[in-house]
Amino acid sequence: MALSRKTPIERIEYAIIVSTLLLLVVVTVQPILNLLAISLSEPSKVPGMNGLAILPQGFSFEVWSVLLQHPNVQRGIVNSIFITGVSTLIGVVGTALMAWALSRPNLPGRKALFILVLVTIVFEPGIIPDYFVNKRLGLLDSYWSVILYKAVNAWYLIILIRFFEEIPKELLEAAELDGANPFQVFWHLVLPLAKPALATISLFYLVFHWNEFFRSMIYLNDQGKWPLQVVLRQFVIDGDKIAIVGVDSANNNTGAGQLNLRALKAGMILLTIVPILAIYPLILKFFTKGTMSGALKG
Amino acid sequence: MADGWRRWWPYYVMMAPGILFFLIFHYLPIWETRIAFEQVRIVPPNVWVGLKHFQVLFSSSVFWQVLANTLIISTMKMAFFLPVPIVVALLLNEVRGGSLRKFIQSAIYLPHFLSWVVIAGIFIAALSPTDGAVNNLLGMAGIAPRSFMTDTGAIRWVLVFTEIWRSAGWDSLLYLAAIIAIDQQLYDAAEVDGANRWQKIWHVTLPGIVPTIATLFILNAGMFLNADLNQVINLSNDVVRSKIDIVDTYVYRIGLQTGEYSLATAAGLFKAVLGTMMIIIAHFVSKRLTGKGVW
Repeated sequence: MALSRKTPIERIEYAIIVSTLLLLVVVTVQPILNLLAISLSEPSKVPGMNGLAILPQGFSFEVWSVLLQHPNVQRGIVNSIFITGVSTLIGVVGTALMAWALSRPNLPGRKALFILVLVTIVFEPGIIPDYFVNKRLGLLDSYWSVILYKAVNAWYLIILIRFFEEIPKELLEAAELDGANPFQVFWHLVLPLAKPALATISLFYLVFHWNEFFRSMIYLNDQGKWPLQVVLRQFVIDGDKIAIVGVDSANNNTGAGQLNLRALKAGMILLTIVPILAIYPLILKFFTKGTMSGALKG
Repeated sequence: MADGWRRWWPYYVMMAPGILFFLIFHYLPIWETRIAFEQVRIVPPNVWVGLKHFQVLFSSSVFWQVLANTLIISTMKMAFFLPVPIVVALLLNEVRGGSLRKFIQSAIYLPHFLSWVVIAGIFIAALSPTDGAVNNLLGMAGIAPRSFMTDTGAIRWVLVFTEIWRSAGWDSLLYLAAIIAIDQQLYDAAEVDGANRWQKIWHVTLPGIVPTIATLFILNAGMFLNADLNQVINLSNDVVRSKIDIVDTYVYRIGLQTGEYSLATAAGLFKAVLGTMMIIIAHFVSKRLTGKGVW
């Protein structure tokens, strides 16, 4: 219907609008596709490759297989999965429990606790005091220093409270009349009802923890504990070739040494976003819905 | 409330882990900020020195430079970032094809979910003077290559552009939601009056999203001092540091790298207090004008 009753000028306008947006798509996606092309190209052809190319020159999985077999990368993957998994689990459980309690309108001390949470959003004392707390607790160089960071995220907590508040009162009262205690109500009634909200929060935490690097960088001295983001940073941003290529590989015919550095960096960047890409359809489904309704409600 | 405790204790048990977390990881650090007023000694206890570190800080030219950088970068981001998602949302709203619109949205939302380490990696590659996309394009137009990442004149624009690249698409979602909420009858009325596409955008859509624009502008103003540590720390290097060193990176450097804990804490506290005041002001201004706040 869009085109049928349009004048020629309106069609041209529409074409301009769509092409502007498609240009935006290209600017967004091209740099990523370029890295993908570089990482999948025949290693010998990479040096001459243009930054605009989005198709691999020749085809080779060598960069990817070398990266995936590299001990630093493997450890990074394991660490990232471990840290993200445990953080997300703790975050979702802790947030859901606290949000459920705080969503009870008559809970004594509710307002005070709410303020306790709000203060942490508004006032952030900064890196150094936080560092000293972790130091005093003996958490330096421990996974816990990273895992417990924003274990309960104040923003996500507020989102969940708002969601729980919308569960019909009658439903909860009926369950209580049936003799269910608060734990049973939470487990059998609230959690099943909150599945979409919990899925959203889980994704929030997952993305947040997967992308986190600053903490790991300052708190984890032991390179064996580094998540993928820190390995990536060391290699690509700091240009520390030893991180991936190795010291003795200059004369080495096998492994990373003979591969093009640019291709290895491209592969490493992409490897770090594979999980995000894998859950991206879910992210779109839940995040956009949440953001839309949140904005509408105001 | 005789049976108060008996009725409510299970809820406190449920909250306990969360509350404990907030006390330890948010309130203990607030207590630790006292180090800004102390002289650290190898053998405890530290000595209270009052505002000495703040005096040192305020008489340091580096600190003022860092503060100026923070304000300049935030201002640039506000001025050049803010219109982009609005324009994107207006354009997206004109696209009627459902699947075309979904495709565009899926593509432009993606960068919002990438870490700054990844984005920095992508842009270091794209801005490379020899084989980066940008210089390859410039080369086709006959323009000599530039090394943007090590160009003191360009690096702040790299921050602005990467910020736009990362979040302009995603932020358009907020405006799009506001546009969708506009009463369809207004468009119908405009159409009856013979308004064309641009007149409808100008007279109906834009006025309809002014409250949202105002809210986001005010909230951004509240976050003014947060010029994004993660972004700067990954896009910075020795050549351009003086241009994009912000309060947060300064705190990190002199605190954790040089070990001047008290001075760094003082700088962090200065920023935190200023930032808190701005957020609170922004919240109330926003509430007053648009009915929406920070929380």
